[in-house]
Amino acid sequence: MLREAEAGWPSAVSADLNAEHITLSDDEIRERMSGNLCRCAAYANIVPAIAEVTR
Amino acid sequence: MKPFRYERAGDAAAAIAMLSQEPAGAFLAGGTNLVDLMKLGVAQPQVLIDISHLPYNRVEPLDDGGVRIGAAVRNSDLAADRSIRARYPVLAQALLAGASGQLRNLATTGGNLLQRTRCVYFQDISKPCNKRQPGSGCPAREGYHRNLAILGASEACVATHPSDMAVALVALDAVVRVLGPKGERAIPLVHFHRLPGDEPQRDTVLEHGELITAVDLPPLAFATRSHYRKVRDRASYAFALLSVAAALDVAGGVVRDARIAFGGVAHVAWRASKAEAALRGQPATEEVFRRAADAELADARPLRDNAFKIPLARNTLVRTLLDLTQEENR
Repeated sequence: MLREAEAGWPSAVSADLNAEHITLSDDEIRERMSGNLCRCAAYANIVPAIAEVTR
Repeated sequence: MKPFRYERAGDAAAAIAMLSQEPAGAFLAGGTNLVDLMKLGVAQPQVLIDISHLPYNRVEPLDDGGVRIGAAVRNSDLAADRSIRARYPVLAQALLAGASGQLRNLATTGGNLLQRTRCVYFQDISKPCNKRQPGSGCPAREGYHRNLAILGASEACVATHPSDMAVALVALDAVVRVLGPKGERAIPLVHFHRLPGDEPQRDTVLEHGELITAVDLPPLAFATRSHYRKVRDRASYAFALLSVAAALDVAGGVVRDARIAFGGVAHVAWRASKAEAALRGQPATEEVFRRAADAELADARPLRDNAFKIPLARNTLVRTLLDLTQEENR
């Protein structure tokens, strides 16, 4: 997921489809985590944990 | 899950020859829908012919200025393709609105077109379903149908086609290229999926043994101003209750041309030709957009629990066209 964002792969919530680089906002992280069977993006600490890794 | 044989085709000709010999066979590409249906007992192929490795995995320019999308191109790769994102944003957005990252990494362009309805009765082998078992009946008409069709349905079937990608492709006048025992043919996507009529078991006009090799997009300059808007029960990872794919060509406040399709309303990705005709040459105003939506939706025949889709379709189309018009003014 981090590599896709670095490569500029958009998601359903990306405002600019043609951006060179995607900044992983909380909405971007949630969208990119959706579809994991555990739905773990729904747990409060998962999004901040991923955001911390991106920093 | 029933036992089945697995074969890997050496090339397209071999794949077609193999399937033509196997009345109860099926091609296997990403498998994201077929394998699920096999687990449920809805699909029971005796042999799977793997075609996922055949050399149809490129997105390449066509001489006429259009784009050829290989049938084996994965949904993720197509959504990320630079030429698709820049020239046909509605298609990239539709792909990204579908399924999840994991599924998009496996699902192919050809397979996406061939996915089956998610009508709950079709997927439950303990229930009758005219699509799964012709002549057995349709419990959806009286039962759970809030997600099902409002346009083009029949007494036999009220299923919807689940693809997001197909909605964008049908708006863009895509053409499906097919190879079969009798040679090659090109089928406009708008004629590829069929309305249920009294043969709901047939989703498409494909004959047994025919293989999708590519989807061609004609050039469409104003598709750079296009958008896909999807309405669903959850923010992500859910099928569309209703979706709109639209491209708009506006100059000096007047609509020169438009391409519009609805998803989640019919057995096919629904090309809204009546709405398009109602827009051409008219001022790009909310009132005109509303009239165009009404022109298309006048034919809607909702069921007990899905009449909400009519105002939802109208409002979603108007909002999408207003957004595209504002983009024009910037």
